[in-house]
This record gives sequence, structure tokens and C-alpha cells, in this order.
Amino acid sequence: MSFDFALLASFAPAIARAAGVTLFLWVVCAGLGLVAGFAIAVARRYGPRFVDRLLFVPVEIIRGTPFLVQVFLLYYGGPYVGLSLDNMPAGIIALSIYSAAYYSEIWRAGFAAIPKGHVEAASCVGMTETQTLFRIILPEMTMLVLPAMVNMTILMLKETAILSIISVPELTLTVSAIGTQYYAFVESFTVLALIYWALVEACGAAGRYAEGRLARYRFA
Amino acid sequence: MSWELFWLLVEAARLTILLSVVSIGVFGFLIGVLVCAGMLSDNVWARRAGRLYVSFFRGVPLLVQLLLIYYLLPSIDLDVPPVAAAIAGMSLCTAAYQAEIMRGGFAGVSKGLVEAADMCGMSRFDTFRRIRLPIAVRLVLPALTNEAIMMLKSSSLVSVVGVVELTRMAQDLAASTYRPLELYAAAGFIYLVINVVVALLGRGLEARLSWGRT
Amino acid sequence: MTAPETAPEIPAVRVSGLTKSFGETRVLDGIDLVAARGAVTCIIGPSGSGKSTLLRCIAFLEEATGGLIELDGQPLGYALGPSGERTRLPAAAIRSVRSQVGMVFQQFNLWPHMTALGNVAEALVRVRRLSRKDAEARALLQLEAVGLAHRAGHYPAELSGGQQQRVAIARALALEPRILLFDEPTASLDPELTGDVLNVMRALATTGITMVVVTHEIGFAASVAAKIVFLDHGTVLVEGPSTKVFGKPRHPRIDQFLETYLDRGAATLL
Repeated sequence: MSFDFALLASFAPAIARAAGVTLFLWVVCAGLGLVAGFAIAVARRYGPRFVDRLLFVPVEIIRGTPFLVQVFLLYYGGPYVGLSLDNMPAGIIALSIYSAAYYSEIWRAGFAAIPKGHVEAASCVGMTETQTLFRIILPEMTMLVLPAMVNMTILMLKETAILSIISVPELTLTVSAIGTQYYAFVESFTVLALIYWALVEACGAAGRYAEGRLARYRFA
Repeated sequence: MSWELFWLLVEAARLTILLSVVSIGVFGFLIGVLVCAGMLSDNVWARRAGRLYVSFFRGVPLLVQLLLIYYLLPSIDLDVPPVAAAIAGMSLCTAAYQAEIMRGGFAGVSKGLVEAADMCGMSRFDTFRRIRLPIAVRLVLPALTNEAIMMLKSSSLVSVVGVVELTRMAQDLAASTYRPLELYAAAGFIYLVINVVVALLGRGLEARLSWGRT
Repeated sequence: MTAPETAPEIPAVRVSGLTKSFGETRVLDGIDLVAARGAVTCIIGPSGSGKSTLLRCIAFLEEATGGLIELDGQPLGYALGPSGERTRLPAAAIRSVRSQVGMVFQQFNLWPHMTALGNVAEALVRVRRLSRKDAEARALLQLEAVGLAHRAGHYPAELSGGQQQRVAIARALALEPRILLFDEPTASLDPELTGDVLNVMRALATTGITMVVVTHEIGFAASVAAKIVFLDHGTVLVEGPSTKVFGKPRHPRIDQFLETYLDRGAATLL
């Protein structure tokens, strides 16, 4: 078995471009998911009861089915309901919806974890509901949900690899295409694994740093 | 959606369930306990090896792990059917998550319980096997059930290495019948049902192992 | 200065010059202690005096930083050389010496996933290598002795604190230790439940087993202990029979200490 890593090195620019696509997908989808997830969590907690029950259904379906199946449903099934999407837009929409569902659960858990007493104290000193939300609830929640958020965000980075299956030109597709073309499978997938590993470790380190910096605000 | 098509999906789901039970419940759990024991051992190299294992298999997407194993095995003259590569890939991956979960469980075992075993003269090995392990697993049963559900969903990825489980069957049928919506929706439904069953089983196990607590 | 021993026996527990530090903090500062065979020795003192640490050193759950511990004449953990240097003993020797000692913890520490019977029988199966049947038969007898045979099939979560502690005592006794250590055995119990546990301990005291008890129960110590050791800030302040430690004129520190323990039987002494 000969390791032809030099071959991969020659493709460095293409791989860098693909990494860019992966990171773009990751940032955009995680970002949209975080915001949409927050909106869903707020609606479910502070909205009318029927909204909570209504949103329960899609959230549980998205969390209970494989991401790949959701991608296929959107990309291959979409055209049959008039939704013809290219692979990139389809990938972004699918991953955003997927992450929104998961993030919404983390936000919900965060809301539930704030001791009622803190909110009562805020109303006792005369704060409005909006003030309470932004000055008390959100800051406290951030510290509580940070580990779970970091975890989920790292998971989202790894999920981008699945979009290679519908030929989105991210890392996995690009590197495995190189491997296939030059018959260097083991080398290409090894390098691919190492790239993801490095990215994930970097995120983990950043997350731990952020948790450390915010640790002094922990009240538990 | 015709009954025959749905039944084909259900048959493929049997392979999904079998794969998952073997990879998550058997090999993944055993390897996970081993890696966890390594992370908790007194030997610094065992600890490093354990942490490295967990870091790698949680840091690389499962899809890439599966592809790597699928192409790696033939190149070292191990010609195995795709199912074997699928089981290997899933087991190694879930083991890393299970090891990390169980490590948290061991941290939750009160020191006093271990001291009591020590004062009763029990060996380190017996204390691990009879006291620390059962209590740790019970502590993290919800997290393990969650991991089982996540891995079950991830089993859909073995479709790319040619294993005809539920997702692959849906793909093949969608391609030949031009009915992707129904087929993927049906496949999703079946996954949902399996997950609900697993969640219920998990809660049943928790109840059974509650040892007199309400 | 200890009273001369009337019989040339080897004491069950002898501690000489024991020191223990946790980092910078010195918790035990040169402790000398002798617990006579077959007698009850109670260690009392204010919080932070080092009582639990001393007991845990005798149990070898903590390793002392200096000094010598001898159980029935055998050195525990470390041997003291002629010029005072400590050498750690081999694991087998440590294990053999420790096998004579049992311990009852403040938090009971019953294994939650086993029944009362299972808790008592476990060590008999693992350590004494009895068959499960024989072990359970022996365990049942032990539970009878503490009055809990009728609860043998219950899990710790289904037992009251006092019952759990009695099961813990049965578990320790099942291995037939020569020395039984008690680390504040009733401190975690509701007052109504301490009586049952203290009664079991009173009964045990008559069986000839050596007991070393760290406790806040002044009444129990005054009435049951052959020797009371009063610890303060890591040293032995006073020791001897109850009449010497609690008899007037008293060390002012003991007066101070008793004031805080009026509800634990100290009122009778003041």
C-alpha cells in the first residue's frame, strides 16, 4: 500500500475552497438555526398553548428522523410539490431546519432552568416583561445553555458532510472525488478525517475557552 | 402508497434494527466500557489512548468514518461484505460516545460507596464490576438511550457503503417508482416509530432498575 | 500521659505520633492513642478537630504523613525504621492487616442496587469466596442480630435511615472483623432513629469486639466507652475514662464543648 499524500497536497487550493464551502454552510445554517430555534422556543414557552402543541409536531418529527432522509425528502421530493431546488439551496434549507429543531430544544431547556424566583424578583422591582427577558433571563440562560450549544454546533459541522450525498461541493465530496479519480481512497479519506478532526478540536477548544471566560457568572 | 412498497420498507427496517442492536447494544457498549475503563485507569498511557479514541471518533463525521473503513479494509487484504464495514464503523463511533457518557456516570458514583467496598476487602476489579459499573450505567441510562436513538438515525448513512437498509431501500424504490415524497415520508415514519419504541424501552428499563425508588 | 495498662496485652489499635496534612493544612499533629482489645474507645471533639481524619487513617482510607499505626501489633501501611524513616509495606501485607478492620460510615454507604441481604452477603461472596447460598444464609443471621431479618429483601431506598445504618453494621460484622470503626454513625439520622442504632452498638460492645467510635453522642460515650479521647485542633487534649474526662474540675475547652452538645446527652454531665 503506498500512501500518495503528495497527490492530495497538489490539490490544496481545491480542498481549501471546499473547506470554505463547508464552513460557509456551517456558519449560515447554525446561525439561522440558532435564531429560528430561539423564536420557536419563545413561541412555545410564552405563546398560547395551541402554539406549543402545534410546534411540537414538526420539532419531534425532525428530531426523530435521520437528517439524510430529510435531505432526500426536500431535494428529490420537493419538485413534486413545486419546490425545485438546486443542491446548495436545498442543503442550506435542510440543515437550517434540522438545526433549528435541535436548537429550539436547547433554548427551551434553558428557559425552563431559570429559577422562577429570579423572574419573580425582577417583577417585584418593577421590571417589564421585555426588560426581564433581556436583562435577566437571556444572560442567565446563556451561561446555562453554552455547553449544550457548543456541543450541538460541533455536531452541525459534522452533519454538513452528509450534504455531499446530494453533491454539494463541500469537503467530503471534493476530497472523495479526488480520491476516486486517482484511486487513492485511503489517503483521501484519512486526510478528510484529519481535517474534520482538527476543525472539531478547534471548535471544542474555543467552546471551552468561552465557558471558562463566562464561568464567573455561574450561579450554580 | 401501496402496501407492497410499505412492506418492502418494513423488511429493510429489520436490517436497520439488527444493525443497530448489534453495533450499539453489543459491540459499541463493550468497546465503550473498555475505552471508559482506559480513561479511568491509573496508567497515564491508557488514559491518553482512551481520550484520543474518544476525540477521534467524536471529531470525525460518521459518514467519513464509514467511508474510511469501507475502503481501508480491502487495502489491508480484509475483504469483508459491506455489512461488516457498516457494523465496524457504527460500533467504533458509538463506543466513543458511550465511553464519554459512562465516564460521566462513574464520576457520579459516590466515593463513599467505593470506600465501603474497600473496607469490606473487595478488590479493585470486583469493586469496578459489582459496584461502580452497575451504578454508573444506571445513572446514565437516559443519556445512553438518547445515544442509541441518535445512532439509530445515523444508521441511515450506511446506505452509502451499499447496505440495503431502510434509507437505501427508500432510495432505490423512489428511483424506480418516481414517488420520492411518499417513500421518504414513509421511511421517516418508520424511523419515528422505531425511535419511540426505543425511548419507551429505555424508560421501562429505568423503571425496572430503580431499586425501590419511586 | 496514659494510665498504665493492667495486663501486658497488645492493644487492638496503637497510634504513635501520627501526623496528617492536606497540602498546607496540618489536620493531625502528633497523635498518640491506644484502644484496648475488646473495649469501646470513643473519640470526641469539636468540628475540625481531626476526629474523622484520625479514624480514616486507622481505616487506611487516608494515608498519614507521619507516625505509626499498629493494629494488633502489626504495622498498618508503613513501618517505622530504627532511625524513624517510614517505609511503605507491600500491598499484600497492607491487605492482610486491613482485613481485621471493618467500618461503619456516617452516610451508611449501602449499595443502592442491592437488597439489604445482598449488601451484607456481597463481600462474603467476593472476598470470603462463599457460595451465594451460604453467603446469604450467613447474611440473614447477621441481619437477625441487628433486628432486620424481616427487611432482608428490601432495597436501601425502601429503608429508613436507622434501618440502613443497622444494615451497614450487619454488613461490616459479616466479615467478622476484630476491630470495628464507627465514623459518626448517628450524625445523619433523625433523632428518633438514633436510639435503634445506639442500642445495636451497646449490644455489640458486650461481645468482645474492639470498637473505636467517633461520635457526637455524649451520653452514649459517657455511658458505654471504657476510654474517651478528646481531640482538639489535631491533638489529644484529654483522654481516659469518662470520670476523668468529664469529671470536675474540667478542662475549660471541654466545658465550652459540652455547652454546644446539651441536646446530645451532655445535660446530665453539666
